[in-house]
Amino acid sequence: MKRSPFLMLTWSSLKAYFRNRGAIFFSLLVPLMIMGIFGLINFGNGTPTVNIGIVDQANNQVSQRIVSSLQGIKAVKLHRGGLDSEKHELQQGNRDLVAILPPSVGQGSTAITAYYNQGNPQNSQVALAIMNQFVDRASFAFAGISPALTLDTKPVQSRNLTYVDFLVPGMIALSIMQTGLFGVVFTFVQWKQRGILRRLMATPMRVRDFFFSQLVTRLTTVALQIAVLLAVGLFLFHFHFAGNLLYLLIVGIIGGGIFLAMGLAISGASKSEETAAPIANLVSLPLMFLSGIFFSRSNMPEWLQTITQYSPLTYVSDALRSISIDGASLWAIRTDLLGIFIWLAIAVVIATRLFKWEVV
Amino acid sequence: MSAITQTEEANLQLDTQGFAIVVDGLRKRYGSLVAVDGISFRVKEREIFGLLGPNGAGKTTTVEILEGLRQTDEGRVLVAGIDVRKVPDKVKGVIGVQLQSSAFFDGLSLLELLDLFAALYGRSVDAMALLEKVDLKEKARSNVNKLSGGQKQRFSIATALVNEPKILFLDEPTTGLDPQARRNLWELAQAIRTEGRTIVLTTHYMDEAETLCDRVAIMDHGKILAMEPPDLLIQRLLDKGFHSQRVERSANLEDVFLDMTGHGLREG
Repeated sequence: MKRSPFLMLTWSSLKAYFRNRGAIFFSLLVPLMIMGIFGLINFGNGTPTVNIGIVDQANNQVSQRIVSSLQGIKAVKLHRGGLDSEKHELQQGNRDLVAILPPSVGQGSTAITAYYNQGNPQNSQVALAIMNQFVDRASFAFAGISPALTLDTKPVQSRNLTYVDFLVPGMIALSIMQTGLFGVVFTFVQWKQRGILRRLMATPMRVRDFFFSQLVTRLTTVALQIAVLLAVGLFLFHFHFAGNLLYLLIVGIIGGGIFLAMGLAISGASKSEETAAPIANLVSLPLMFLSGIFFSRSNMPEWLQTITQYSPLTYVSDALRSISIDGASLWAIRTDLLGIFIWLAIAVVIATRLFKWEVV
Repeated sequence: MSAITQTEEANLQLDTQGFAIVVDGLRKRYGSLVAVDGISFRVKEREIFGLLGPNGAGKTTTVEILEGLRQTDEGRVLVAGIDVRKVPDKVKGVIGVQLQSSAFFDGLSLLELLDLFAALYGRSVDAMALLEKVDLKEKARSNVNKLSGGQKQRFSIATALVNEPKILFLDEPTTGLDPQARRNLWELAQAIRTEGRTIVLTTHYMDEAETLCDRVAIMDHGKILAMEPPDLLIQRLLDKGFHSQRVERSANLEDVFLDMTGHGLREG
């Protein structure tokens, strides 16, 4: 039975790849770990919590009611303690506001003293507003007056994007880049150094078959990474996926091609792993932090935004984000796709110029 | 070399009958360095032909040109009757190559690697039978990095045999092996020749060349200095009145070593 060289090369390198535990660890677990860490920290998500310290000197029915109603407010994290310890916490910056309920609470007109943190005005303003509103309402209740104006609230379902919704497509873009760059750079430099590529060249193997088999192997990994990151995002972090899976995969695979070609170029230009690793890091680190993976690029100074909008990783992550958050069609992200294709062409040209089969 | 007429071409074709390799006026430069300086030689079919010479003599370049891995600057090279210059890929299909560094992909077993190599030649192979031939049947499901030095070289030869080549190139196959493993590899080479294959061997070990080769070519500075059967070369030297400093005895230290440790292979 004759077997296609291309299929055998692809099958063999897939087998070899999935038997290599280290490679699987890096390609699947590391992006998950990063996502887990950032997902748990949950940067910039929703309302800030304010830390309010309560010193309950009265400890009677009324003061306990105040405490329990404060506990019912979502944005408030309530701490209870003695006067000295709470004041100390405030000085340490661990409280935004410390309120003292004197023993006279519930017995006529009483002043509640509140110390607030001047170092963090944003949070202490929120804490003060909450306390004010609370004190007002309590006063009305004690006086038996109903307020002249009331607020009638009605909840409306909104898209309610969370940080995870921003993060997941970014993480997918990031792992596409890492797999493309590092997966290719290290294996190819090693194969070159150990003479494996030379041994293959001594057979009638077609170069095209070899490169396509490597491409397919890496892109399979990329597809798997996308699946795992999506699944974890959906089930563990409540990621809202609004888009088309197929589009996501298409952008992921074409984007993967850019970084595979870059990896080949780097492994072509370097003679050993010692020179390849710094070059690969030199390419990947700036891209990782400047392409809006973890944080939106809108936080950058304007000149940096202008430059970084042309980064290949920006195009890929923006495209993935539009697809997964806005449910964008391929036509809607055509500008990003154009950028991706231009980068792909540049990377392929550089790779064909720089790649060599042996260490010269 | 440029203008070869039809009749000359026909004559050459006749001339090359019975030869596995024909090299005429081969020249190769790397910049200003002349690596191979217009050499000509022929390797007969079913011959074990040794290419000897110090490092940098031009043997590796010559062999790589024969294997279709490098371009020639000048000269005519026929391997199994095929012009390497015109169709290097066709040459690659009928030869087998064992390289000095016998590394292969990690994560694949010997059987899987042989299947892969066979596929690269557009063939399928009885991998188990091939492993049995090189005495590696018990290692069929191991990885290459679990093999000893001698086993690696034998496996490397197995990969070079997947396409049933007419000509087998062995590049320093016994470098770094212990005496037992070297002898074992010599037996393998002789067995392969008995199957009707031609072997081109490069080596730095003169005892190896003396034992295995029907003829050797000694190269230096890109030129062939002599090309004869080893016995004839030795006789010529003696005829010139050469006397070895060494007292020739009917046994040497290697014989002592093998007498004490036996001929059996030492590998896991």
